[in-house]
Amino acid sequence: MESPKPDDQKLQMFFDGELATEEEAALRRSLESTPERMAQIREWAQIREAMQTASADRTGEIDSDSLFARIEAEVSAPVISIEPARRAKEPVRAVPGGRERRVWGAVAAGFAAAAAIFLAVMARPTTHQDPNGVTAAARTRGSEVLEVDFGTNTGTIFEVEGGAGESLAVVWIDDEEVGLQ
Amino acid sequence: MSLIRYLVMIAILLGASRVAAQGSSLVRSDRDSTASVPAEVLVVLAKEEPGEIDPELKKLTALRRPPFNSFRSMEVLSRPKLTLTPGKDALVSLPNGRRVKLTLLRVMPDGRYKVKAAINRPNKSDYLPLLQVVASAGDPFFVAGQTYQGGTLVVGVIVDPKKTSQ
Repeated sequence: MESPKPDDQKLQMFFDGELATEEEAALRRSLESTPERMAQIREWAQIREAMQTASADRTGEIDSDSLFARIEAEVSAPVISIEPARRAKEPVRAVPGGRERRVWGAVAAGFAAAAAIFLAVMARPTTHQDPNGVTAAARTRGSEVLEVDFGTNTGTIFEVEGGAGESLAVVWIDDEEVGLQ
Repeated sequence: MSLIRYLVMIAILLGASRVAAQGSSLVRSDRDSTASVPAEVLVVLAKEEPGEIDPELKKLTALRRPPFNSFRSMEVLSRPKLTLTPGKDALVSLPNGRRVKLTLLRVMPDGRYKVKAAINRPNKSDYLPLLQVVASAGDPFFVAGQTYQGGTLVVGVIVDPKKTSQ
């Protein structure tokens, strides 16, 4: 019988080393039958490694005193006190693991927020402006000439401003007066 | 995690509402494109001699701006209402014997009306063989320049679903 797939939260806790020993062992067994989850774990590991490498590269640029002070402040923040028992079991991984989860959560939330903003912008009615600052909404008011054939006469096309500022088309054609038929 | 789900749901809902809005707009456009729409033709005799401006033209401020501002008097000769049906010609007689032929070609996706107009004597093409305009509801376009009784005829065409045809 196929083992049930671990949920994302549990998988992430496994990745961060936050599961109890028995639970971790059980999950590890179940992962053997879910290659896609194993691939997920490997992907996370690659990302973390890349982050750690990038972080190490920049270590020299960081003011270690202020960084340490910041870490201390964050260690004493409520986030750390949420899972004291689990951290006590694996003190070496607890703090960095927790921080990384927060980082990945923030990155994911950032992407989701960016996607939401992008779609929100896309969902808004388009209000493009031409070089004169006239919006598309204003352009759809009024009237305009698409095509005109003056025949044998001469003519001019005018644009007259209407009462609401809209542009109204005027076709002016000169002619000789005609009589009633 | 709940924040991410919440934001993703917002994004999906916004995207879905945009698609739905576009769909309903297209449906409305398709439906309207086959419908008849009332229109009005304003026939004005404008003269340079000082005189009265017809009170009916008070709201048409465009007639006080160039190239109409040289006229010192304006009289509404007729104001026939008609119904424009896509693909069908509607005729309006002018006092000089010519006729205005109007045809509603289509309703544009943005709601404006594409109209074809011609002004000629019957069976002739002596004045305005062809004019195609797009106009939004209630906004007129004008054809001016025909001389008549010492003045100039100004013909305004207004397509407006709110107006009732005779």
